[in-house]
Amino acid sequence: MFDLIVRDGLVVDGSGAKAFRGDVAVKDGKIVAVGQVSGDARRIIDAGGRVVAPGFIDPHTHFDVQLLWDGAARPALEHGVTCVVPGNCSLSLAPLKAGDRRQVVGMFQQIEEMPPEAFTQAFEWTWEDFAGYRAAIETGLSINVAPLVGHSVIRLWVMGPAAQQRAATPAEIVAMQDLLRECLAAGAVGLSTSFVDTDENGRPVPSRFAQFEELDALCAVLGEFDRMLQCVPEFYATDITIARIDQLAELSLKYGITTTFSPVFDNAGTPENVPRIMARVEEQFARGAKVWPQMQTRPLDLSFSFLRPSLYFARLPRWSRVLRQAPEIVLHALRDPETVAKMVADAGPDGGDKMLGRLICRGGDAAPAAMVGRTLRDIAAERGQGCAQALIDISLENGLDVAFLDADIGHDNTDRIGPMLAHPLVHIGASDGGAHLASFSTYGDTGYLFSEFVRKGGHMSLEQAVAKITGETADIWGLKDRGRLQAGLAADIVVFDPDTIAREAELPTFDMPGDGMRYVRAATGIDTVLVNGQVAYANGAYTEARSGVVCV
Amino acid sequence: MTPRADEAVIVAVDLVPGHDGTTELLVRLRHPNGAEGPVVLDEETGLRLMNNCGAASLGDLVGQSWRRIVEGS
Repeated sequence: MFDLIVRDGLVVDGSGAKAFRGDVAVKDGKIVAVGQVSGDARRIIDAGGRVVAPGFIDPHTHFDVQLLWDGAARPALEHGVTCVVPGNCSLSLAPLKAGDRRQVVGMFQQIEEMPPEAFTQAFEWTWEDFAGYRAAIETGLSINVAPLVGHSVIRLWVMGPAAQQRAATPAEIVAMQDLLRECLAAGAVGLSTSFVDTDENGRPVPSRFAQFEELDALCAVLGEFDRMLQCVPEFYATDITIARIDQLAELSLKYGITTTFSPVFDNAGTPENVPRIMARVEEQFARGAKVWPQMQTRPLDLSFSFLRPSLYFARLPRWSRVLRQAPEIVLHALRDPETVAKMVADAGPDGGDKMLGRLICRGGDAAPAAMVGRTLRDIAAERGQGCAQALIDISLENGLDVAFLDADIGHDNTDRIGPMLAHPLVHIGASDGGAHLASFSTYGDTGYLFSEFVRKGGHMSLEQAVAKITGETADIWGLKDRGRLQAGLAADIVVFDPDTIAREAELPTFDMPGDGMRYVRAATGIDTVLVNGQVAYANGAYTEARSGVVCV
Repeated sequence: MTPRADEAVIVAVDLVPGHDGTTELLVRLRHPNGAEGPVVLDEETGLRLMNNCGAASLGDLVGQSWRRIVEGS
């Protein structure tokens, strides 16, 4: 008697092999048979007309904090994600001494944009070491977690305030090595570091003060455990990114470790960026190094409000001059009819329709509910105004606190991005799930992979796309028990409709502690999600299952 | 500030979307040896550059020394 059989689905097993019609049987949290399965089960899931695939793995998230009160990392699970990797970009919540919590909270707030209440009301700080953090999240997991330990917090533990001031001494480096060993033994999947991130005061995070010798020593420890190094290189400059690729390659070869870096974007303004990066990645893989570039599927959106200075209007001198000022000066200027008339004139003879009409009113702020989700063109027409005048007036009427979205403005050329994502040396990831909460939604990238690059663009087969975010990801990260529908592996399974799987529109929601706001996207086309053999999500709802584990 | 002959100069500027949803400034620098390369400045740095240069528009940045990018940082 099986615990469960997923019957009569199109089995896409995560290896990239051709799909076939069949069943997947589960017992004691493991897959026990794949193919034409006979026998009884306590529960049958009819997957007729649906794809049955391994659960998706999201290798770049910042769910460290959210997992303490939401073991499903919502809405990741409902998108078919059964394993997340938090602790990226040099930041994790352990190891962390009680006296250093405020400092690390500041860094997390900078990256995650999480409200302060998330750190003061939503959970009890019961840990200092990595094993303690693991125990804290393990009590309520519905999703699997492969946590990274952050270089910045390791540095902070060993060096205290000097972590953000200077290079480490040889003795401090040895202490960091010992601490990293302890974290890896307690279940960390690897180490994350960053050459870019800053804290809430604009100071470089501690990992950026490390000399190369320090990173080299830490990678020696990763080599002892055969674990990953994740890195944020100076992605704003292609040449520096390439130099980092070379450094990562040397570390990979020297210690036999796998490394990954992100983000990697393709924008119209820098069309040579990805081709040059990939050329160097190919060279380094040919040498035997493992340096995986992570690329996100979703396009980049821009957002702005008049409440804070933005470069969005830098092409328009009059707008730029006004909107670079402090809010009270902006308000004063926008109340001057002569100034506004000149700004409107700058927006074009059509009143700004071509330039601004596509903007979407975002919500989550002071925007009137009736405007949220609508285009400025539509709102302006309703008001009997041109778009530029409407944008100014709406902002004035609401204390400048109305955000507008310019969607799909970068990393958006499907015919360029599709082949990049399909490249065998590109690791699909970099979702940043759980971060940038008040700026944009970081959920649904897997759905977008299928809707945009499988169905619409045809850049990948269904089997290739599934393999990219399941079997290949598990191989890169050394998650030996995950990523494939294969007897003996963990029963992380997603059942979805290949004709409709997608992400829905971005919406503000107030489900963070302290009624904090974040932008989310719901899933379309996901029927059922199993985590370690238990149904964690079905028929549009989360279940009571708490079968997630720390899965390193 | 007139650029010296032996330092990199901004030769082109554009706006690009940032990783964090903000608008960033793509500046292309020409080095003294003739080589050119792009650098993307985050929104804060880009705004500071425009203020440092007293620039009303992107075109006002062309011809400025690369040193203006790091002024006041």
